[in-house]
Amino acid sequence: MINRLLIANRGEIVARIIRTCKELGIYTVAVYSEADQHAPYLEQADDAVLIGPSNPMQSYLNIEALIQAAQRTEVDAVHPGYGFLSERGAFAEAVEQAGLIWVGPSSTVLKAISSKCYCRHIADGVQVPVIPGTLNPVADGGSVVAYGRDRGWPIFLKLDKGGGGKGIEIVNNESEAEEVLQRASRIGQMAFGSGDCYIEQVVEHPRHIEVQFLADKHGNCVCLGERECSVQRRHQKIIEEAPSVVVTDEDRQRLFERARNIVLKIGYEGAGTIENLRSADGNYYFMEINARLQVEHPVTEYLTGVDIVKWQLLIASDEEINFSQADVKMDGHAIEARVYAEDPETFVPSPGTITRLRLPETGTHLRIDHALKENGSVPPFYDPLLAKVIAWGSERAEACNRLIEALADFQIEGIKTTIPVNLAILKRPEYLAGQIDTGFIDNNFLV
Amino acid sequence: MEKNVNAIMPGLCARVVVEVGDKVTKGQEVAVINCMKTEFSVASEYDGIVKEVLSKEWDELQVGNPIVILEVER
Repeated sequence: MINRLLIANRGEIVARIIRTCKELGIYTVAVYSEADQHAPYLEQADDAVLIGPSNPMQSYLNIEALIQAAQRTEVDAVHPGYGFLSERGAFAEAVEQAGLIWVGPSSTVLKAISSKCYCRHIADGVQVPVIPGTLNPVADGGSVVAYGRDRGWPIFLKLDKGGGGKGIEIVNNESEAEEVLQRASRIGQMAFGSGDCYIEQVVEHPRHIEVQFLADKHGNCVCLGERECSVQRRHQKIIEEAPSVVVTDEDRQRLFERARNIVLKIGYEGAGTIENLRSADGNYYFMEINARLQVEHPVTEYLTGVDIVKWQLLIASDEEINFSQADVKMDGHAIEARVYAEDPETFVPSPGTITRLRLPETGTHLRIDHALKENGSVPPFYDPLLAKVIAWGSERAEACNRLIEALADFQIEGIKTTIPVNLAILKRPEYLAGQIDTGFIDNNFLV
Repeated sequence: MEKNVNAIMPGLCARVVVEVGDKVTKGQEVAVINCMKTEFSVASEYDGIVKEVLSKEWDELQVGNPIVILEVER
């Protein structure tokens, strides 16, 4: 079993991972950049190590500095959190080569699935429908034109190695195909080291439905239900919930079956998520695999009572999952609101200093994952996520009302936050009726 | 006379897209700032010639920090 763990991340997820480590008796080492030297979670860790300047390239994205910190503090494992280097095969490999346990799927698996085309082939090979398009990268502008003439416009060009909502370009007609392909390839080359693009057809009014799974090193794979994350801005999620109001029991069993087939085919070990799109006519298409702990994992923890971080650590320690799919109970409804440091009308970032902070009281029905303190600073160098407020209810309306009450009680001054828009979404009749798709914010809030 | 083009957001300098000697016009993008993983274009408020480039990729910027100095006609 892991004894000493370095957490290669920053912010609320560090506090989240430390909480489970304390329960398991694992010694924790946090890392920090100069900008985060007064971050509140550093006091919760058993040890904290400065890894570099504020610029993430020299700190949280600096593999060498992180490995050195791990060796200096004599940890036996590294948890990468989410974002930063969490899905970077090269980091997993460096951890493995240093003789340490990587909490996540192996570097070999991470490198393979960093290609979306590889994942599309895997899914297709186990009879899981993928979003219609090409399985391989397109050769040139001519093949984009040929595809569009055959199937109609518009189409999406997506980077094979893209991620985080980046690297998705729309092609509206054949006259712009060449230009858009060139631009996408250039962005891909710069940001992800590969300009390869493949085609996806447009799915009308899609809903984002993802399946959380755990897979151990003994061939077991258990699904912990789905999450609906259709409320997004700039392809990034803002409200997530479980269960989804549109997923029937039959759909759920089919999605679990598909997820298991993909996961076992890849040889994936650890916690992960299969992201799907659901079209307005009720078809589900595999989109991609998120090979990490997800921001929205608390929603699933509320419903199932399973501590996902605990299972990440147990699986990494070669433990076997000691419950079956039939044992997984999904009780009630949970909704998470992500509070971002952004202007609630324009979504423009709002870094600064928190001058006043009053958090709502948490308990059985309310959880807040955060790394905030009064007079704490929110640096401009990192992701704008400030806190996640998660409410549980025996049914959806109850969860929603509890979340609204909590957000209304959440007092934070000195920076702008998305709390007003979180509240506006949750109070919207369409949201209450479950009539949401990925265009919900663009269509209702960004006029 | 000299005029500065300053950072409009705090964050990291993502790139400066002009070089010393370049002619810039009012409204033209001279640099890009990355604030909380979102990129913001910084445009010149003047017509002029780039006299000096003060920032480079990954430099930390506060609002108002000069990025380039322009030589502007009176």
